[in-house]
Order: sequence, then C-alpha cells, then structure tokens
Amino acid sequence: MSTEQQPALELDDIQAGALHERPSPYVGRYLLLRLHDPAQGRELVRRLHSLLVAGNRAQGAGAQAWATVAFTWAGLAALGVPRSSLDTFPREFREGMAARAHELGDVGASAPEHWEWPLGTDAVHVAVSVLARDEERLEAVAAGARARYEDLASVEVVWRQDCYQLPSGRTSFGFKDGIGNPDVEGSGLPARNSSERPIKAGEFILGYPDETGSLPPMPQPDVLGRNGTYLVFRKLHTDVAAYRRYLRDRARDRDEERMLAAKMVGRWPSGAPLALAPDADDPALGADPARNNSFGYRDDLRGFKCPAGAHARRANPRDALEDERSVDVRLHRMIRRGTSYGPLLPDDVLEDDGVDRGIVFVFAGAHLKRQFEFVKTQWINDGVFIGAPEESDPLVGGAHAPTDFTIPHVPIRRRLRDLPSFVVTRGGEYCFAPGLRALKWLGDLDS
Amino acid sequence: MTTADQGTTRPGIRVGSVSEFTLFFRVIPGHADELRDALTALQNTPGYRPGDYEVAIASIHEARFALFDDDTRLLFATSFDGSWDAYMEDFAAGPLQLFDAIFRHTEGYAGLPDVAAVKEFILGAQVTAAAYARNYPGTVKELRKAERLRGAFDRVLDDPRAEEALSHPALKPLLDEAADA
Ligand code: HEM
Repeated sequence: MSTEQQPALELDDIQAGALHERPSPYVGRYLLLRLHDPAQGRELVRRLHSLLVAGNRAQGAGAQAWATVAFTWAGLAALGVPRSSLDTFPREFREGMAARAHELGDVGASAPEHWEWPLGTDAVHVAVSVLARDEERLEAVAAGARARYEDLASVEVVWRQDCYQLPSGRTSFGFKDGIGNPDVEGSGLPARNSSERPIKAGEFILGYPDETGSLPPMPQPDVLGRNGTYLVFRKLHTDVAAYRRYLRDRARDRDEERMLAAKMVGRWPSGAPLALAPDADDPALGADPARNNSFGYRDDLRGFKCPAGAHARRANPRDALEDERSVDVRLHRMIRRGTSYGPLLPDDVLEDDGVDRGIVFVFAGAHLKRQFEFVKTQWINDGVFIGAPEESDPLVGGAHAPTDFTIPHVPIRRRLRDLPSFVVTRGGEYCFAPGLRALKWLGDLDS
Repeated sequence: MTTADQGTTRPGIRVGSVSEFTLFFRVIPGHADELRDALTALQNTPGYRPGDYEVAIASIHEARFALFDDDTRLLFATSFDGSWDAYMEDFAAGPLQLFDAIFRHTEGYAGLPDVAAVKEFILGAQVTAAAYARNYPGTVKELRKAERLRGAFDRVLDDPRAEEALSHPALKPLLDEAADA
C-alpha cells in the first residue's frame, strides 16, 4: 500500500524513550523482569502504563525522568497474548537475539553460552529502563517503578544494570557517542543533518509509511502494533586496555596514536567528524549539535579523510554509496540510545584491571532485520560492501578477528594488521516497546 | 502489508563474497513480442550496451535475460556481491524497478509502486542453483581496483626507466611480475 499524505505522528501515544532525546548527563538503570503469572503480569502492565502516561505528559524541558517499557516475545506470551497475535511478529523477534547469534557474529567469547544469565534465555520477559538527571531523581523514579511491582509476588527481577552518561558524552574507549542519529520526519525535533532529507517516521515507528512508501509489517491486532517500535539491547564489554595497548604498539608517538584511534571511529574524541575535521580534533565542532552531524562522504569516496572502514562510516555510510545503486542507505538506519556501564579505565592505564565496563547498545527501529541485523552483518561484521571482504569493523569487531584495517593516505595507505576484537557481547535481547494504547490493551487482556 | 514476512526464502548459493541469483518467470500468453522488444530496449540502455561495463547496480558481476520454451518462459540470472537475503529489500525498493517494463509481461507481477509485492514476486520466482562455481575471487570493487592498478603498472613498464626504477629491493615483487605482465 502506498500513501501520499503523511499522517501526523501520535507523539502522545509513542513511548517518549524512543523518539525523544535524553538529558545529558544522566544516570539510569535497566531492569529485566520475569513474569510467573499472566494475571499479575497484566496488573504490572496496567501500573507501568500509568507511569508512562505521566512520563509522556511531562515531556519537554521540565521532565525529570524517562521510563521505557518493552517486552520480549516470550514476555508477550507470558502476558497471555493469543497465539494468533504472537504469530504476526517477524521471525527475528520470535526467535530472539540468542537464536540469531551465528548470523550476528556472536561467536567465540561472545557466544550465548557465555552470556550473563538471564540474557538470551526465556526468563527475560519485560525490560524497563529509567533515566534521570541525577542519582536522587533516578532513585525517586526507580522507587515509583519498584512500588509498581514489589507487592506482585510473581514478578521477579532477574537482572539489573546501572548505567550513565558522562557530561562529556564519552564512553569507555574515550569517544563521544550518541551523535549520529537520524532526523525523523514529523518528530518535532530540530533536523541536525542538512545534507540529508529527514527519514520517514515509519522507519522507526509502526503504523506510518516508511522509506519504501509502504507501511512496515505490523503485528496484529492493529491496536497492539500501532505506535510501537522494536528495541534491541546488547551489553557490550569493551577491553579498553587491549585497545590502548594495540594503538600504543602501532603508533610512532601520541599524536599518531590519536590519529589512528580517530580513523578507527570516524570521529575525534570530542565527536568532531573526520569528514569535517580531517587533520586534528576540533572540540568546538564536536560540541556543536548544529554542526557535528551535518556532513556526508561524497567528497571523500576514497576515504582519505574518513576511511570507508571506520566504525561510524560503516554503520552509516550516508551518501557514500549513492552512485552504486546496490543499496539504499535510508532503509538501514537506526535510532541509537546507547549508554555506558562500569567505571572508565583511568587515563594512560594499559593493563586490564579486570573491571567490567562498556556500553549498553540500544537500537530503536521498525525493522530488526533490515535495520539492526543488516547493519551488524553487512556493514560491521563484513567488508564486501567496501571492497574489502576480509576486513571487519576495527572498533567493534566482527566476523573476521583478527582483522586488518586500511587507512587511505597520500602518498601511501596505511594498513593496520591483526586487530583483535576489543568488544565482547555479554548478552542482549530483541524487545518490542508498544505504544501507550497498546500497553493498555496488553494490561486489559482477558485470557 | 500488515502481516509478518513468513515466506520461506531460498537463498542463492554463495561463493566467496558473491551470491548467484536466478529467477524464472512465465510470460503472459500473447506478450512474447512485447517482451522481446522490452529486452532489446534494455540491451540498448547505457550499461547494457556491449562494451559498456557499467551496469547500473555496481555490485552486479554480470546479468542475462533469456527467453526459452518457445518464448513462454523467461530466465534472469546474475551474480552479485553480498549475501542474498540481506539485499532483497534494497533490490526490490530500487534497482529491480528498472525492470518494470520487462516484468509487466510476466505472470504474477502486480507492478509498482508496491515494494512489498515486488519483493514477494521476486522471491516467488527465485530458484537456487543446483551447481554454481566462479573462476575468480573478489568483489566488483576489488576487480575494478585491480584493473586500475594493472593500468598503472603497465604505464610504469612502458617507461624506458622502468627496469632501473624497479630494481630497488622494495619493488622486487613487482619486478618479478614485470617479465610477462
Ligand atoms: C562497544 C561497541 C560500540 C562502540 C564503543 C561504539 C561507538 C561508537 C562511536 C564512538 C560512534 C561515533 C559517535 C556517533 O556518531 O554517535 C558510533 C556511531 C555509530 N554506531 Fe557505534 N559503537 C559500538 C557498537 C555499535 C553497533 C553494534 C552498532 C550497530 C549494529 C553501532 C552503530 C552505530 C551507528 C549507526 C553510529 C552512527 C553513525 C552515523 O550516523 O554517522 N555501533 N559508535
């Protein structure tokens, strides 16, 4: 079905966590819940619904806290969603992330048998995240959330992960993250990338036309699917000491070390993109939301400024592939809502201290397969699309570990050899974050 | 489309970075002549003209259409860089639409602009090769780059000072190739 007129986004029905930008800095908490009884599960959903309604009302500058609620497929089943409805979810979601491990490159140390319990098992039913500007406010919302499940004996908290974003926005490898996000048509948020038309809302929220002109496949009944979005979360451990040692070993001096690190990411630590600041970091550019995501790669197809294999350029090649017509980059975008966990490794420490640290990667989008899984398997794990089939993402790794990384440079390109994997998957889940009416429908299910 | 895609996909065989992609269609009775005309028109478009080497889709190694069984059936066979499954959405949303003028003479084609229907139509026509081999590894991108390098090396060898220049120890691997390059 194709539609010309664009229906307005029902922003008051979409969970605020999906489209809204978050405060910065913040502290947050992820909770995974297991439901042992459908009736109490639905009672929980009704209570969480009221929490989210309040949260959505408070959106804007005055908001104190942000909560998001999502369900795995097993969780929807545990609530008593009928089979006829469960069957309408896409295959990837029904199978879950652990079943897709081989596809996704979660093998070796990242394989599901090494994941943190209960990630990847059918004990994960409900995911709740809460974020706030500081600990005190987080505690207040968390207490509000806790009050909603504490007296429900059959609701079990099976996993908890604290997380945070630093004022600098930097994560464990030392780079500012969370900059490259798509401008979404109709979201009401300011467009950040002047070199690209905003992406159709249907790429991220179910029930609206997407970039193909069609409505994305939507789980049924309509009330359940509409205004929902799929969420992917992955706890990714980062071996910061190994990463630093690798760079130290390969670089002639500290300047070159910083350069190699920036080439791997596609941005400088401040967030300044190599496409706009090829030779040195530019903290003012990195800090300026009006400029730090407004660029393309068309004037740099050979990658002299930003290598085609750099993490951010792989994950979103922007206009670099336009002439090739093999791929439509707009079909493979994602909203990222990642966050840090664990303390940073102090500057200059090169030995591992054994502490778990990294990012909780969070994706929001309407298609698990053609967005998250495509980007992970075709662009990050694999290098066929850049004509370097043996190379994987130098920062987050992939199918070919150890991998090489080619840095185009005049007069002679540089090739880093034998990059180990600096990132290990600790586990993750595919979830569905329904709209508020859908949440109410779930809470009122009568099975 | 409101239901989940639950069709079974039959992936093409992959050799190295390349996937084969083979489609069989039935020609709508009475449309054979128009279809031949459409194929001739395609052959005359930039990229398909003999010697062009610029197929619009940059990841395609080669492509052919063949009419068979007294023009009642149509074969489309190609090889492309990437995994079969991942790129179907992209092909249906863009490049395959270039073939609209051809597909409209085949059965089951609902036409543009319904991308989901185009995808279903393509998946329905796909048959996995029973045997598939390639005689060279590499992606189109790598091959084009190799061609560029080969041209550059030829220009070096055509220079009378090439032998002297290539006698530097660092260039030994190139000198080893120079005798019959
Ligand atoms: C520990 C693992 C990871 C780390 C440390 C990491 C870090 C970063 C950094 C520093 C940036 C640049 C800042 C920005 O544009 O926001 C970035 C961008 C990005 N990353 Fe990651 N990342 C990780 C994993 C992933 C994974 C698994 C995916 C996708 C499957 C991904 C997708 C993206 C995307 C889409 C962008 C934005 C690109 C753009 O729009 O220019 N990242 N990441």
